[in-house]
Amino acid sequence: MSKESCSEEKGLNLLHQLEDIFENDPLIDEMGYIHPSQFSLLNDESGIPGDSPEEVLHPSAERTASSVESLLDASNQENLYFWNRDHKLGISTQILLQLYRSAKQSFMSAFKQYKASNIQSDKVVDSSYAFPSCDHLESILMRHSRSLLLLSCDFITAWNCRKYVLSKKNQPSVFMDELHLSALVLSYAPKSEQAWSHRRWVIKSISANCSNFNEILEKESELVEKIAEVLILCRNYILLNWKEIKDELPCLESPMLVLHELKRARNWAAQHIADNSCFHYRRRLLLKILEDSSCRRCVSSGYNFDMEQLWKDELDWNRTLVNRFVGREALWLHRRFLSSCWINHFLTESSNTSNASKETASKYHEFGEFLENELCLAKSCSTILDNDFEDLQSQAKHSACYILWLRTQVPKPLENELLEKLRGVDLLNLLNKSCPERSSLFNDIMK
Amino acid sequence: MGELVTEKHVRYILAAEKRKDDFESVVMEHLRMNGVYWGLTTLDLLGKLDTVDVNEFVSWVMSCQHESGGFSGNIGHDPHILYTLSAVQVLALFNKLDIIDVDKVTKYIVSLQNEDGSFSGDIWGEVDTRFSYIAISCLSILHCLDKINVEKAVKYILSCKNMDGGFGCTPGGESHAGQIFCCVGALAITGSLDLVDKDLLGWWLCERQVKSGGLNGRPEKLPDVCYSWWVLSSLIMIDRVHWINKEKLIKFILNCQVVLAELLSCDFESDTENGGISDRPDDAVDIFHTYFGVAGLSLLEYPGVKPIDPAYALPVDVVDRIFFK
Repeated sequence: MSKESCSEEKGLNLLHQLEDIFENDPLIDEMGYIHPSQFSLLNDESGIPGDSPEEVLHPSAERTASSVESLLDASNQENLYFWNRDHKLGISTQILLQLYRSAKQSFMSAFKQYKASNIQSDKVVDSSYAFPSCDHLESILMRHSRSLLLLSCDFITAWNCRKYVLSKKNQPSVFMDELHLSALVLSYAPKSEQAWSHRRWVIKSISANCSNFNEILEKESELVEKIAEVLILCRNYILLNWKEIKDELPCLESPMLVLHELKRARNWAAQHIADNSCFHYRRRLLLKILEDSSCRRCVSSGYNFDMEQLWKDELDWNRTLVNRFVGREALWLHRRFLSSCWINHFLTESSNTSNASKETASKYHEFGEFLENELCLAKSCSTILDNDFEDLQSQAKHSACYILWLRTQVPKPLENELLEKLRGVDLLNLLNKSCPERSSLFNDIMK
Repeated sequence: MGELVTEKHVRYILAAEKRKDDFESVVMEHLRMNGVYWGLTTLDLLGKLDTVDVNEFVSWVMSCQHESGGFSGNIGHDPHILYTLSAVQVLALFNKLDIIDVDKVTKYIVSLQNEDGSFSGDIWGEVDTRFSYIAISCLSILHCLDKINVEKAVKYILSCKNMDGGFGCTPGGESHAGQIFCCVGALAITGSLDLVDKDLLGWWLCERQVKSGGLNGRPEKLPDVCYSWWVLSSLIMIDRVHWINKEKLIKFILNCQVVLAELLSCDFESDTENGGISDRPDDAVDIFHTYFGVAGLSLLEYPGVKPIDPAYALPVDVVDRIFFK
């Protein structure tokens, strides 16, 4: 036997072992690659194969009957290359290349056969003849594509073949399996673009036909939050779903949902204050409420909430965070957005009531107050101490830039108000002192 | 660390192209078309495109084309708009655009435009402004931009503009330097840059420069060499590149080069680990970051690197050949 075919056979053996593990444990929800040295730790001779890492490191005197059995039953090979316990799967890095090659080869050949048989079955009038072999090929294809995706999470063709198979089905349960698989892939590759993309496709596909869609979405939020690293894909992914809800389920009172979500997400945001995506998400929710409230103004609605108060609350909350967490860019950028909207939506809206002039005067006064508060906040943060504490320097930089931002957001008629309040502040000097690198930007903006 | 170690990078790229016997390389094979574009463009920017076998690459590229007209990432894989652009770009590098069946490729891309002007990546429908850029860039190179609905395409891109002046992947998506490059590039190619608030966007972009001189992709993130391309090219296209500190950025990129090999596991020969650029100093190198590092240096007019077009991401002489032949 040639060296090549020997290694090919070994590869196939490994593939079958992997696929058998899934047959025996279809609930696997987490996986990772394990270095061989860690493997021997997990399957140490002094421990029992299948012990949890904690048990191996801190062996207890008790051994349950079932784990003794598993010692006797487990094949030696499986212990060397695969580790499976508590619905977790570990694959030894030693076999990854071989496993990948055989998974890919098996997948490609299965896909070819499946496509060929599909063409056949389309041609054959009596399709019942073609069905059994089609089903069989299909299950092989799904099995091999899954194995391949555990090794190469962005292998587009493998994800596509599953979409191809699924697009012919109607049962929601098969789609749930896809969510399960993509969650498994995300457990070892949380940034996998294709895994997220596949999830989006699956959710889109079932949204039309699924009665427990809300439940599914709840789980999605949980999953996303579980994946510790907040990724732009996650956030955009959820937003995409919100858009889908609005389009697909118009009976939902979406503003209420959004309000609820805003409230719920606040705690999470407070724990992720350096995460810009978090605050971008809030901005999207806030913008949505703003849009909805302006088009519902003339319509009587079952709910009552004060948009202005909501905005004020958000500004106050942001102020608390800015003061507590010094030098955090994401917080200051969020404030830029909040003030911008405040100025352009709440303070400068034209009113067509009979009290127009009175309203204008009061709005003017409010604007003055608002500016006063904002400049006060910014100034309090901009004292640059003569030490090298980076966070304080950042705080000074961000707050100075914030003042510059306000200057660009204020509409012409109210500009004097701002300049009056800025008298005594050499803004350009302040900016250049806090961030000399950006002097070119500051000079140009302030022209 | 004061200079660009060109020879080492060339050797790194040529070696990486051949490496097929380790997991990390082999697991990228589904996107080889992108990798080939990154590697070859880098070689061209360093004046070393003649070190590769043109015919071998050209015939491999063509064997990745499908009936639909789209190209796949590698032989036997499904087609996607991502690889279609890379394929066309690679052929452009070799001055072999004439072997393309222009109608076929055009038809594929046109079929991916949606009602709202957006583009899907493939038949499965995923929408992203990256695909808008790809469609516009690719068809522009093939002189077939008029075959899509440009007005709607532009309208869709603008609908992805955010209040901070940046662009996201879909309407309402978070501003991200990569998406911004795609949107600005697409608007540049379609002559619609006047619809961008350049001061606002420029401000957002120049705030990507962090203390070390490197650029990040969005607020609060670590700097990464690849943003030297996306942020920089965007700034150049909107004429605000003077708002960042160029010297510091050059220094950052040069610091991301691997000059001395670290002896890793016995899988690697120490020689092949010389050269290449990583995402940030002291990390592992890859072709992706090597390309973006060199492309960034090109935009910064670093000596010994050919100029690159910020919208098409191809050497300027290649773009000139396409449009001014």
